Amino acid sequence: MSNIKPIADLSYRNYDGPLKKPGSRWWVIAKNGIRIALKKKALWGLMFVSAWYYLVMLVVLFFVQQITSSNPAGAQAMKAFMERLVWPDQFLHGFSYAQLPMLIIALMLGAGSIANDNRANAMLVYLSKPCDKREYLFGKWIGIALPILVIMVVPTIIFYAYGALTFREYGFLKDAWLLPKMLVIIPIAAIFHASIVVGISSMFNQARNASATYAGIYFITNFFTLLMGGIWASSRGETPFPVKHLFYASIDGVLIGACKAIIGTKGSAPFGIQSQGGMSQVPAPAVVPILGVALLISVVFVLIAWRKIRAVEVIG
Amino acid sequence: MIQIENASRWFGQVIGVNDVTHTIEPGVTALLGMNGAGKSTLLRLITGQIQPTTGSIKVFGNEPFANPEVYKRMGYCPEIDQFYEHKTGRQFVNYLARLAGMSAAEAKTRTDEVLHEVGMADRADKKLAGYSKGMRQRIKLAQAILHDPDIILLDEPLNGLDPVGRREFMSYLHTLAERGKTILVSSHILFEVEQMTKSIMLLHRGRLLAAGDVSLIREYIDKYPHRVRIETPQPREVAAKLIQLPYVLKVEFDEWRGGIELQTRELNQFFAFLPTLTTEENFTITGFSSPDNNLESIFHYLIE
Amino acid sequence: MAHENSSGVLSYARLVTVARISNLTVRYGNFTALDDLSCEIPEGCTGLLGPNGAGKTTLLKTILGFVNPTSGEGTVMDKDIRTDGMAIRQLIGLMPEQDCHIPGMTAVGFVSYAGELSGMPPAEALRRAHEVLEYCGLGEARYRNVETYSTGMKQRIKLAQALVHGPKLLLLDEPTNGLDPRGREEMLDLVRSVSHGRGVNVIVSSHLLPDIERVCDRVIVVIKGKLRTAGTIKDLKKLAGQPADVELREPNVAFANMLMEKGLTVTPPKGNIYRVQSELPPEELLRVVQRTALESGAQVRGFETAVRTLEEVFLEALTA
Repeated sequence: MSNIKPIADLSYRNYDGPLKKPGSRWWVIAKNGIRIALKKKALWGLMFVSAWYYLVMLVVLFFVQQITSSNPAGAQAMKAFMERLVWPDQFLHGFSYAQLPMLIIALMLGAGSIANDNRANAMLVYLSKPCDKREYLFGKWIGIALPILVIMVVPTIIFYAYGALTFREYGFLKDAWLLPKMLVIIPIAAIFHASIVVGISSMFNQARNASATYAGIYFITNFFTLLMGGIWASSRGETPFPVKHLFYASIDGVLIGACKAIIGTKGSAPFGIQSQGGMSQVPAPAVVPILGVALLISVVFVLIAWRKIRAVEVIG
Repeated sequence: MIQIENASRWFGQVIGVNDVTHTIEPGVTALLGMNGAGKSTLLRLITGQIQPTTGSIKVFGNEPFANPEVYKRMGYCPEIDQFYEHKTGRQFVNYLARLAGMSAAEAKTRTDEVLHEVGMADRADKKLAGYSKGMRQRIKLAQAILHDPDIILLDEPLNGLDPVGRREFMSYLHTLAERGKTILVSSHILFEVEQMTKSIMLLHRGRLLAAGDVSLIREYIDKYPHRVRIETPQPREVAAKLIQLPYVLKVEFDEWRGGIELQTRELNQFFAFLPTLTTEENFTITGFSSPDNNLESIFHYLIE
Repeated sequence: MAHENSSGVLSYARLVTVARISNLTVRYGNFTALDDLSCEIPEGCTGLLGPNGAGKTTLLKTILGFVNPTSGEGTVMDKDIRTDGMAIRQLIGLMPEQDCHIPGMTAVGFVSYAGELSGMPPAEALRRAHEVLEYCGLGEARYRNVETYSTGMKQRIKLAQALVHGPKLLLLDEPTNGLDPRGREEMLDLVRSVSHGRGVNVIVSSHLLPDIERVCDRVIVVIKGKLRTAGTIKDLKKLAGQPADVELREPNVAFANMLMEKGLTVTPPKGNIYRVQSELPPEELLRVVQRTALESGAQVRGFETAVRTLEEVFLEALTA
């Protein structure tokens, strides 16, 4: 081996190893986003918080079943409970009650995603590499949307599996398309959150400003939804035409409306309690318009981010 | 003008300036040192933003700390550049002129004057957010000379200026110096300092390592041998001759550029001897120089 | 690459062109940033000079393939700047002027991430990041968060992230900005060592002409969007007639007069430096000077072929 010298030359040498062709950088960026997310311990806690409705229902159903099977007199009570329980609505509730934790998760993952890069001038690093604006934005976006998607899908599937194995005779499988429908609405929710948070993040250079802004929008619009719901419920659904539509004019409202429309329910009170015609029963909006609105909002915020990321200004 | 006597300043346990004594006279004085040597601390002491922990600083015989009488006669151009980015350069300078206590009319004429003097008159109506680093430096200088102060302190004022801008800036400093102003400039860039002034203050780890005229300082540093470079096509012959001189300490061959480099303790005797090589002994020498006589090598000698 | 021929003299005949720009015009609205500019950047280290707003930045952006030129064309390493921006950026490393890093990462994490962004496989990127950081003098601090770095270290890490994927062309924008004398020297040595003999071509844009002189072989001067001067620094600095600068220990009028009596042209001294012009070869001129000095009681402290400073070259190009 003639090329082994006793003393190695440790000064600068060139790198001649493999280089991947441009076009796959978004995955590098997304991977990095996810890696940073997984380092945050609070995220793991929020995952459980976001599934709280499913978890509570699992416990409730488990005990109801235990009690009724050991006590024959309870079978009647069980039957009544099961009749009140609208299965698709349990998924609607699981989905709805996950939205606030999802907001917090989206902020944790996404508020700083572009804002911090703005502060540190990181765009100069990204865009001087073979990585363009499209890949940058898509990578950041996937890095937020994918974790949200997983966090929402897993408890849904677990709950579905438990229900499908245990409560078939109580009409759990009446709608065979229930799971596929949920698997349509959950990605829409992930897209919705990721798009908004990316757009807002791109407008700031401090993560906390972006967080405050998104949280502000979320709570203000939510208050509006509660107001509309209150008017609707107090008039027993007899209010003039726009109220039941305006009920859905909020971050939560759009997603809940879309969920109702897709799984085809008008909603019921949570935990199968006796229904009092509350605001959880505002009728579902039409599928196409509500999905249109959700996608439009997502696209608008992605476009904001697109405008804010400036590729040409890369030096000076 | 500025009298510093045994001034020290600590920040908690960190020392910024350690027992500095010096008097700064009218004219341009350069403040040199590595990052963290205490240059900015010294400037902040002189501008009265902080008080010395021990010792004293007097500007026109007064303590500068929280003393508006001193501020009236002092202009300061800090290193950081943070402005009200949404204002134009003119608005910014005008605003500071009002803060300095000028009337609206006075502030307007004075703003126009200083913007003209720093060469920004034609560009001052753009928003500060769009300024280049050089333009920002000019605006900072403009606000420092606004109230025609007698003492001007400039922290890294040449950063970001292009060569033309640097030249204009320096000649402007000379004009100010000729008007009898006391100017203290901190800088990293030694060749520029050389063009600006001969009078330096060199800080190192908080201590004042040297102060005064560059050439005088160089003469004091005799513990270091001086280097001399000789260009010749016969390096070994010339070296053989020179190594016999008792005051020549070392001879090296420069393989890359050719010629030799030697070190001598007695520069005078050496240069008195050198002509004999060419005029009497017929060696071929095409050039020689002593690379040590610049600020950069003095700087290195002093801090190493 | 400059090849050494048999006589040991460097020959530039086979210089390979790294970037070639022809008749390039770039307009932003009404503003013409580059005006029918043509230039060739050969292998080695090239300095890019010009006053603020002259189009240097636009030229760098053009080389990176970011600019959509109004007319004209250009290639960087045989790739078209109008269509192959991505492929060009894979071969280029940029060290921007401003502070920049990716937040929330250690130095190693940052540099290997930069490597992955350039297309390196993750394992290679990590290995190479360690190597490059060591080389840039950040070996000790590589596990620290970049946000805690000092100015000098931030400059180094910018160089490291530009070098990680082994670029063939390195663009450095004001690489010594904010560095103290020692830091600047180390940075210049670093740049010089990658650009000479390591197959990395470098373009340095800087306002500090002595820095350019230290690391570059050639310069191009861009003024008002046009190429004003280009050439090797050595050639540009040459003075017509090759006069010599004679430095005396102290000014001596008799010395100058006696030289002039001997038929040499002596310009009025700057301090204690006299510029002497003659037809003689330098070693003969030195003999004359030394004899005259002995006769007039002067002591010669320096004798060199006079050259212009790069600053003079630049200012001349500016006023031409």
